[in-house]
Amino acid sequence: MGKMVDLSLIFVDLPLLLSCLHITLLIVVFATIIGLFLGIVLALVRIYKIPVFSQLATIYISFNRGTPMIVQLFIVYFGLPSVLLGIGININRWDKLYFVIITYGLNAAAFMSEIIRASITSVDIGQTEASYSVGMTRIQTFSRIVAPQALLIALPNLGTSFLGLLQDTSLAFTIGIIDVMGKAQSIGATTYHSIEAYMGAAIIFLVLGILLEKAFTMIEKKVKYKIVA
Amino acid sequence: MKFDFNFMLVALKAAIKFLPVSLILAFVPLVIGIILGTLIAIARVFKVKVLWRLCQIYVVIIKGIPVVLILLIMYFGVIQGFDGLAVFFHWKIRSKDINLIYVAIIGLSIYAIATISEIMRGGLMSVDKGQYEASYSVGMTKTQTLWRIVLPQMFPVAVPMLCSSFIGLFKGSSVAFLISVTDVMNGALITATGNYLFLEAYVAAAIVYWVVCIIIERASFILEQYLKKYSNEVAL
Repeated sequence: MGKMVDLSLIFVDLPLLLSCLHITLLIVVFATIIGLFLGIVLALVRIYKIPVFSQLATIYISFNRGTPMIVQLFIVYFGLPSVLLGIGININRWDKLYFVIITYGLNAAAFMSEIIRASITSVDIGQTEASYSVGMTRIQTFSRIVAPQALLIALPNLGTSFLGLLQDTSLAFTIGIIDVMGKAQSIGATTYHSIEAYMGAAIIFLVLGILLEKAFTMIEKKVKYKIVA
Repeated sequence: MKFDFNFMLVALKAAIKFLPVSLILAFVPLVIGIILGTLIAIARVFKVKVLWRLCQIYVVIIKGIPVVLILLIMYFGVIQGFDGLAVFFHWKIRSKDINLIYVAIIGLSIYAIATISEIMRGGLMSVDKGQYEASYSVGMTKTQTLWRIVLPQMFPVAVPMLCSSFIGLFKGSSVAFLISVTDVMNGALITATGNYLFLEAYVAAAIVYWVVCIIIERASFILEQYLKKYSNEVAL
């Protein structure tokens, strides 16, 4: 019997794993886009206290924050087709990737709406009053005065949430997506050397996380410079 | 396909039965994380030689790796590597004898130590420098200063974040079902293996997680209010 744990296999596995990296990035990017748009809508609904919708948004956010990602993934995967079949849309033949992107998008929306809401409410009320007093309309006030200041506050947290999303995508393999994790699992299943494959995946996540963190600090600096100066 | 409400109740009952397992999976790593995480935070803030660097490397690496991967690496490490070690050291125990819940607890603890040490570091740095100087000036040693002055001020700051970390661990413990630990998730799923009503089982698991998270959130809010009152009374 050969060596049980052969660390040099990590370097054999790494190129194979990297070939599936684009799926992971695809999930993260599309989920972030969905999350940002839906998150802004949810945040505005809660800030302006639109009746009924505001309460629904609160429940939605509470559910997303209170249940594990993996449970949400399976609920969407098993539940969405039958819900949509009820209103006459058949999505049984959809690719699994769409389900994953929808789930992560919906989940990210809840977390991002909280970040956006906190950053908008943290802008001083005097700013709004001042801009009203110089004759700006409500929309002008929001887009010219409140939003840029809120963006500055929200950016670091959005970066953290983006990195969290990247780590959460490691669960997508449970419904059979072949991303970095899925590839690691299949390598493990065929070669019986799972631990090396998973270590390779860990290295990819680690490096990707550090690179993205650096990128976010740079973006933050740029945006700060643009808004403040 | 219709949603079978009665079966969901069956799954709910099964899931609640395994709630203690999930709570243990969250609580033990929390305690270990608080103890070791505080030590790591102290080592990093006071820049203890060499150890400081090692702790920093540990935190950066673990924070960059998803929990699932930590658990899976631990699991396959035990399955692939442990038997070889056991033969080498002439232990009687083999990997199949190890209860996997310990693997899950250790894996989650590794993760918890890293995240909680960051919380504690934030807490430590939030304590004013003047507090250290004042306690040194009345002749306290470094340990005394930490134990009597800094840590009591640090914990109220850290409590809200520790509670959210507990919620994160509780939710994170759900991935332990991937290494076949029978927690809330698996408890609900086992009932569904016979009739394939997986949606109902997952909804049942979601309800259990949601309710417990809401309870923890409420408890954390009450604890926060209590601590706030307490610190006001002392300070004023």
